[in-house]
Amino acid sequence: MTGRVVGRGFLGMCALFVLAPIVVVCAAALNGGRTMDFPPTDVTLVRFVEFFVTEEVWVRALTNSVVIAVASALLAVLIAWPIAYALWRRDSPAAKALAALAALPFALPPIVLGVGLGFQWGFLGALGSIWSAVLSHAALFAALPLVTVSIGLQSIDRAHLDAAATMGATDGVIFRTIVLPQTLPYTASGFFFALVLSFNEFIVMFFVSSSAYATVTLQIFNSLRNGFTPTMAVGAITFIVVSVVAFSLVARFGDLPRLMGADPARSS
Amino acid sequence: MTAIEARALDAAAEHGASVRRPFAWLFAAIVIFLCLVPFLFVIVISFGEKIEGAAWRWAFDATNYRRFFVGADWPATISFLYLQKMWYSLYFAVIAAIVAVLVAFPFAYLITRQSRQAQTLWLIFLLSSLALSEVFIVMGWDILLSNRSGLPMVLRETGVTDWLKAEGYFDTLRAWGLANPRDVRFKTSDFATILTMTYLVFPYAVILLYPGLSRIDPSMVEAARTMGAGPLAVVRTVVLPLVAAPLFGTVLLLFVYLLGVYVAITVFADPAKQTLAVSVYDSVRGATLDAPFGSAQAVILLLTAGGFLGASLWLKQVAERPA
Repeated sequence: MTGRVVGRGFLGMCALFVLAPIVVVCAAALNGGRTMDFPPTDVTLVRFVEFFVTEEVWVRALTNSVVIAVASALLAVLIAWPIAYALWRRDSPAAKALAALAALPFALPPIVLGVGLGFQWGFLGALGSIWSAVLSHAALFAALPLVTVSIGLQSIDRAHLDAAATMGATDGVIFRTIVLPQTLPYTASGFFFALVLSFNEFIVMFFVSSSAYATVTLQIFNSLRNGFTPTMAVGAITFIVVSVVAFSLVARFGDLPRLMGADPARSS
Repeated sequence: MTAIEARALDAAAEHGASVRRPFAWLFAAIVIFLCLVPFLFVIVISFGEKIEGAAWRWAFDATNYRRFFVGADWPATISFLYLQKMWYSLYFAVIAAIVAVLVAFPFAYLITRQSRQAQTLWLIFLLSSLALSEVFIVMGWDILLSNRSGLPMVLRETGVTDWLKAEGYFDTLRAWGLANPRDVRFKTSDFATILTMTYLVFPYAVILLYPGLSRIDPSMVEAARTMGAGPLAVVRTVVLPLVAAPLFGTVLLLFVYLLGVYVAITVFADPAKQTLAVSVYDSVRGATLDAPFGSAQAVILLLTAGGFLGASLWLKQVAERPA
């Protein structure tokens, strides 16, 4: 039984390690003064009002972050779906090649993609516009819905498809009545993964924005030189809440252990 | 590219209906435009030439690469400045990747032994911290390690610093660069850099190890236990051989990810130990504004990352091949 206690202790230690900086940042948001003290002094919630309502810089940055995250996640799903579907239906070399291409930006160092996209949008005269940022993040995160949708498609029982086909359903009908509904949780999961990561992404956005606008992460990085302020910590809290809510939704409507690659047979 | 596009057409035009062909072409073109062309731009511009006044023009010479390997004034003088930056990229990434996997392996193993519901909660927890921006993580550790209100303050207030001084360990810390004449300090130090980088990839490490570990048949573990093996012996003789390849593959993937870390290095690493990622950033957007040279450095970073990535994919294939 000592093994169990040691195991629990180890898990606890790791949890503490993961939590430590997060807790500190969250607590720092409560500071009344302008410095990042821990534990917070002169506790207040004014920083929250500043971040969400009164300070225009932060409000605008937050709006940009939300717009880019939602739009790029949607686009990432739209890019990923046809590739995942083609892989599932035919597994042709062309589908494999497209899947590999879509995975490339996520697999390689983001700073290289950022530099390249910076050149590309510069040539097209789109540097510093929000839509080029949306496209950039869609490229960077298309790999995530590609993986989740592929897992979803593989989980469809082939017997259902055969049964539908024997009863005379066309491919279109099968797609609408079986494939789409059964993969919806996985599509949503992919969407949320892309959304959360886009929300938090920094380096690609830095090159693509070309300082024409700021997202919350960019704004925080820009403010780094002047030192941290508690208002920035409110941004961090917002991000953590968004992440926890998004992943809880994924877990609620999908099978998170399965998505992460656990053996589907053992669902005890 | 024509052959690939033609085949992409076949695959994406699901039912082979000729109506869908243009869409398949268009779709393949969009994917190529978004996911491949940016990298081609970097590669092409890396052969370009800088013009004074923050611009550059197309060219085809290897000056930028020569500058990377032997310095701009070669053969008159030789400089390994950028190779050194490359070395620090590898150095920080290797150590942090290995430390992260060493901690994540027992962690992931213990999680997979829990109920499905507990696993889900742990995964939400890890994913949330994984998604958290590098910027925030650095901010958190910066507070935790700051002299004013972080670990050095705790050590000072609790008397540990004085004890260290009295026992003579303080000089050792100073020799390691972890103390100034009066206090323990972590900024800037290799310790803080590696700690933060380890933190950045720890959730990735757990999530990458999770599938392999969760597929281990519990009856194998139980069989070993009933035959008298202790928990550690079980891990060593049953679990480790099963996941040895994924373990190594995970180190490689984390390593590749860490090559691109930027914020943690700029904040925590010694100015003399800045990495290639920082140097790329400085060249392209920073004071020097030398896009071609920045691109050349980015290409080298790309090739390094791509090489290790390829190795990890190959390793995965070998591991999955039936014996």
